[in-house]
Amino acid sequence: MEISTRTSSDIHIVAFAGNLDSTTSPEAQKKLDAVVAGARKVVLDFSELDYISSAGLRVLLGAAKQLRASGGTLRIFGLNQSVREVFEISGFSAILAVYPSEAEALGAM
Amino acid sequence: MRQEFRMSVGAHAGEVEKVSAVFARFAETYALPEAVRRSVNVALDELLANELSHGMAGRDAGSVTVEVELDQERVTVTITDDGPLFDPFRQAAPDTTLSVDERPIGGLGIYLVRELMDNVSYQRRDGQNVVVLVKQLVVG
Repeated sequence: MEISTRTSSDIHIVAFAGNLDSTTSPEAQKKLDAVVAGARKVVLDFSELDYISSAGLRVLLGAAKQLRASGGTLRIFGLNQSVREVFEISGFSAILAVYPSEAEALGAM
Repeated sequence: MRQEFRMSVGAHAGEVEKVSAVFARFAETYALPEAVRRSVNVALDELLANELSHGMAGRDAGSVTVEVELDQERVTVTITDDGPLFDPFRQAAPDTTLSVDERPIGGLGIYLVRELMDNVSYQRRDGQNVVVLVKQLVVG
């Protein structure tokens, strides 16, 4: 798992490459917590994410809750078919803002 | 044609990574469809993380075996451990309609396994927990 961050004006974009599972989620949580603590607008780039398990979903839910509490926004784009399936089964596609592309995720933020 | 591998797993959470890596290589070698590989990877992560952190808690000499079989039609994963009786599928499904604020963190893993696999089963056999997962290669 590789996690990189970049910014586009006041938007923090966090890109994940590899798997978000029980092995990688502690580090992902640490990195995402650090970003979320200092940002209002956060976009997660999943275009290089291979698969996500419930341990990864927990990390996302934690970040979403934190941002909601601070009045921030969380958006996600670039889900492959498998990640999308996990989002649908878990109901996450209904509670997190998922966009087809980076341009759409960053638009009107 | 039938391919398979079998591996023993130590009873601690760090071992999940090893199994994921071996399965990913197996999937690549036999050109498993990506969607099938990813679903099985998720299921392995859910069950092994669950088992190694709870089922084997406090025991350092437990034995867990993962077996993967591939034939023309399906992938079959069998996870066997000698821990205390534990049926992972005897668990109520989580409420997936709750909002971000209402949602408890956790409780989704086993539900994902059920939904991603075509068939799941649990058996207590000869003092062992035996979990079998089946994923068809072709949707049909």
